[in-house]
Amino acid sequence: MAVMRMGYVHARVTDLAEAKEHYANTLGLYETHSEPGKVFYKGWDEWDHHSVVLEEGGVGVAKFGFKVEYESDIDAIEKKAQDFGLTVERMSAGDNLEVSDGIRFTSPSEHVFEVYHSQKVIGTEVGTHNPDAFPRHLVGVGVPALDHALILAENVRKMEDMFKAVFDFFPTERVQTDLNDDDAHFIASWMTCNNQIHQIAVLEGEQSKLHHFAFKLDNWDQVGRAADLFSMDDVPIDIGPTRHGITRGQTIYFFDPAGNRNEVFAGGYPAYRDRPINKWTPDAIAKGIFYHARELNERFTTVYT
Amino acid sequence: MPTVTIEPSGEVIYLEPDETVLSGLYKAGYAYTIGCRRGGCAICKVDCRAGEFHYNRPIADTVINETERADGTCLSCRAVPDGDITIEMRGENVRLVNPFLRQINEKARLRAEAKQAADAERLTSTTTKE
Repeated sequence: MAVMRMGYVHARVTDLAEAKEHYANTLGLYETHSEPGKVFYKGWDEWDHHSVVLEEGGVGVAKFGFKVEYESDIDAIEKKAQDFGLTVERMSAGDNLEVSDGIRFTSPSEHVFEVYHSQKVIGTEVGTHNPDAFPRHLVGVGVPALDHALILAENVRKMEDMFKAVFDFFPTERVQTDLNDDDAHFIASWMTCNNQIHQIAVLEGEQSKLHHFAFKLDNWDQVGRAADLFSMDDVPIDIGPTRHGITRGQTIYFFDPAGNRNEVFAGGYPAYRDRPINKWTPDAIAKGIFYHARELNERFTTVYT
Repeated sequence: MPTVTIEPSGEVIYLEPDETVLSGLYKAGYAYTIGCRRGGCAICKVDCRAGEFHYNRPIADTVINETERADGTCLSCRAVPDGDITIEMRGENVRLVNPFLRQINEKARLRAEAKQAADAERLTSTTTKE
């Protein structure tokens, strides 16, 4: 096994104090480290040191980290990345706080990806010894973990090729202009390396931009409760609660205080490598994205950081 | 009470002190193209044709570049007028989506006009005494 999951998102925010209010008090992430201009978080059900890093200055995403199972996987992925034509650099342990050595490269979409094999283990908030179902004193939404991200790229097919070749990901769903892959132009692709319906998705758009990063929830009830909390905390909701036709996930899109789009995402059917890919044609994209409204609001393609 | 005049219609919106342009327009019942409402996506830019404003939060250089900081570009979700300003929408006009709210803005206009008249009268009587 190579890549296990997207382990961290490193995002930029314009005002760290406001961002902390949102990520810690509204979303309920646990702060694991703080230094001037930077804060590190994990969800209650995550065991590694952090899954979200916020840095003051600017907006958008600085980089993504993907965790592999074995140290030796790093060499293998480095080779695959070079074979794909990417320029790869080595990173040292400590380049990222509490993160092992690994590699770093810039994708054809101009996003920075890091690959690492370990992070300092802190443990989940319920522990591993006869654990309870959840921590009793969760704050706000109390998201358990980071789930996935959607990024923008000029060439979606090339990004899918990269994720397949370098990370051994496979697509679970796509928006494409023709059902025949050879004739089709790929508009968007949802990809994973395990049973999680998607860990990364790529949508046609401006290079290097972030569409959103998402946190996991269990079900509709939790999504509805999150929406209530967003109203209480004056969090701008982009859309939802609703369902995605693509992935079948239940969702709310909303914005952090710097304007980065976040999502809470529940459900989604299990992914398998041998499951045929769900293909959506552009005429049905609105239903694919927003299953109930069946209308693509203009923000979906125009609003990003 | 700062005002925002929207060209080309000339509609005048009355803002609370420290209120953003976007908030003022929506509170008066108007809608236009907006996105994150938190200064990150750059979609709600309008042009400021007269008057001064400032931003109530730091704005990323990727959202408002150096040229835009000087050419009247106004990121409306973070822009707070320093006094009366005039704006022009980009490629669209505002749409009145909530007429009830416009009535509130109308009341604010009447109050402002009454205050102006009272101030003028006070000024006249003071001048007369002297």
